[in-house]
Amino acid sequence: MRISDRRFALYLMTPAALFLAVFVAYPLFRLIADSFFKISPIAGGPRDFVGFQNYAAAFASEAFMGAGWRTLAYTVVVVTLEFALGLGMALLFTTLGRKSQVWRTVFLYPLMIAPIVAGLLWKFLMIDNFGLIGTLLHQAGILSNPNQIGWLSDPNIVLFSVAVPDIWLTTSFMCLVLFAGLQNIPGDLIEAARLDGAKAPALLFQIILPLLRPVIAVALVVRGIDAARAFDTILIQTNGGPQSASETMSLLIYRTMIRFGDPGLASAMGTIYLLAMLAVAFFAVATIWRPGKDN
Amino acid sequence: MRVAERTKPDGGKAPTVSARSSVSTATHVAPRRRRGVNREGLEAGRRSTRTILWILLAAAMVLYGFPFLYLLFTSFKTPIDTIAVPPTILPKEWTLENYANALGRSGVLASFINSIQTAIISTLLSLVLAVPAAYGITRYKTPSGRVFIMAALVTRMVPPVAIGIPLASMMASAGLADTPIALSIAHTTISLPLSIWLMSSFFEAVPRDLEEAATVDGCSRLGALWRVVIPVVSGGIAVTAIFAFLASWNEFLFALLMTAIRSQTTPVVIANFQTQFGLDWGSMTALAAVYSIPVILLTLLLQRKIVAGMTLGAVKG
Repeated sequence: MRISDRRFALYLMTPAALFLAVFVAYPLFRLIADSFFKISPIAGGPRDFVGFQNYAAAFASEAFMGAGWRTLAYTVVVVTLEFALGLGMALLFTTLGRKSQVWRTVFLYPLMIAPIVAGLLWKFLMIDNFGLIGTLLHQAGILSNPNQIGWLSDPNIVLFSVAVPDIWLTTSFMCLVLFAGLQNIPGDLIEAARLDGAKAPALLFQIILPLLRPVIAVALVVRGIDAARAFDTILIQTNGGPQSASETMSLLIYRTMIRFGDPGLASAMGTIYLLAMLAVAFFAVATIWRPGKDN
Repeated sequence: MRVAERTKPDGGKAPTVSARSSVSTATHVAPRRRRGVNREGLEAGRRSTRTILWILLAAAMVLYGFPFLYLLFTSFKTPIDTIAVPPTILPKEWTLENYANALGRSGVLASFINSIQTAIISTLLSLVLAVPAAYGITRYKTPSGRVFIMAALVTRMVPPVAIGIPLASMMASAGLADTPIALSIAHTTISLPLSIWLMSSFFEAVPRDLEEAATVDGCSRLGALWRVVIPVVSGGIAVTAIFAFLASWNEFLFALLMTAIRSQTTPVVIANFQTQFGLDWGSMTALAAVYSIPVILLTLLLQRKIVAGMTLGAVKG
C-alpha cells in the first residue's frame, strides 16, 4: 500500500529532526533548566532552586555587561572591516575579469585554516618582543621602538587586535559572496549609467550597492552571527586578557562554567546570550531568508 | 552535474560581436567566458587603469598571503631562531627540527588519527541524515518541511558554548565520555544544519520530471531517490561532504570540552602547546602547518566545487 506524499516526506525528515531534537534542543533545555539552580561544580553536589537569582546576578555583574558590550563592539568591527575589504576585493576581481580567476581561488585559502591556527599565527605576528609586525613597523621608521604598541598587551587596543585573525579568515567569504552578487548585475545597466556620464563613486553608491542589497544583507547576517560567537581565536591569543579587556560573551560563559565553577550563573548568561542571538536570527530569517518556498 | 549546468552562463547563445551590448548571462562565481567576449559591464577598459588594478591586486595578495607564508618560514627555523629578537622573515638556516619535535611528541600522531576519525564519522552522519531530509523538504514542500528547515537554520545560531557543557554531560552519562563518537555527534550538530541547507539547494535544481519518469516506470519513490536522483546530485553531495569534513576538522570548542587524552583532536593539542610545554613556538608552527596544508591543497584541487557550494549556501535566498 502506498503512503501519502506528505507522510513520505515526514519519514524522510524524521531522522534528522530526531537528531537535532536530542543533541541540540535537549541540551538547550538542560541549559535553560540549569539557569534556575545554584549548582555545586562538584559532581553529585547540591542543586538548589533559586528562581531568577542567577539572571539578577548576571545583569548586576560588571563582567557580564562588559562582555556584552565588547561582543557587540567586536562584532561591529569585524563585520564592518570584512565588508569593506571584501567588497574592495570583489570589485577588484570583477574589474580585472577572467584573468584574475587563479588569484580568486588563492584568495580563498584562509577559509580552510582552523581558527585556532589563525589565532596562533596572528599572536605570533603581534606578540611583544619577537612579533614581526612591531619589528617591521620599527624598521620602516613608523615606530620608534618595536614594542611601542602592545598589540595584545595594551587593554585599550587588544579588542581590535584579537579581531584581526577573524577578519583575515573570513574576508574571503565576504569577497566570494559579494563577487557572486556582482556577476549578477547586468552589464547593460552599468554601460547605460556610464553613457549617462556616471563616475565611479556614483556607479558604486547609486547602482551597484543598491542592487547588491539582498546579497549584502545575507552576508552581513551570516558573518555577524559567527563573529558574535567568536571563541577560538580570542582564547588562544589572549584568553580574554589583559584585565578582561578582550573577554567576549563566549569566553565569559566558558570561564564562568569551567574556571569559576558556577554552572548555574553560566547557564543564565548562556540563556540570555542565546535569546539575544535568536532574536536577531528570527528577525533575519523572517526578513531575508525564505528557504523552502517557491519563488 | 545538474547544478553546474544550471549555474553556468547560458552556453546556447551565439557569441555577440560587441561585448558592450551583450547582456551578462554570468550567474556563476567562476563563469567560463567564451573567447571574443572579454569585456562585461564592470570590467576595466583602459590599459593604464588595468595596470594599476593589477598592481593593487598583487599588493593585496602579498599582504593576504604573507601571514601563512611567515608561519611556514618560521616552522623551518631552528627552535632558537623562532623566538629571536629581532625576528627575521626567512630562516637563517633551514631545518626540519621543529617538525621532528612536534611530530615526535607523544599524543600528536594519535591526535591526527582522532581528527581524521572524528571528521569522517561526522561527515557520514551528516550526509546520512541530511540527504533524505533535504530531499523531503524540497521535493514535497509540506508545511512540516518548511517548519523543519527554519528550525534547522535556527540551530545554526545557537552558540556552541551554550550547548557544549550539557552535551558533554549527556555523553558522559551515555558512557561515551572522551570518545571520537561523542565528538563526532557534537560536530554533527554544527554540520547537519549546514548540510541540509546545501543539499536543499542542490535538490532544488533537479528537474521533477526525472523521478516522475522513474516512478511511471515502476520505481518506488525511495527507489527513484536512490537510483535516479542521488546519482544526479552526487556532485552536490561531494561539496556537502567537504564542508561537513572541514567543519569537524577545524572545530575547537567542542573538542576542548568533550575530549581528554584518549580522543583529543589536533586543534586541542596545538592549543595545549601553549601551557603544557611552555611557549614552544617552533613546534606549534610546524604542527599548525602540517594540519593546515592538506586542507588547503584539497581546496585548491576542488576549488570549483567548493566555490559553487559556498555561493549556493550564502547567496541563494
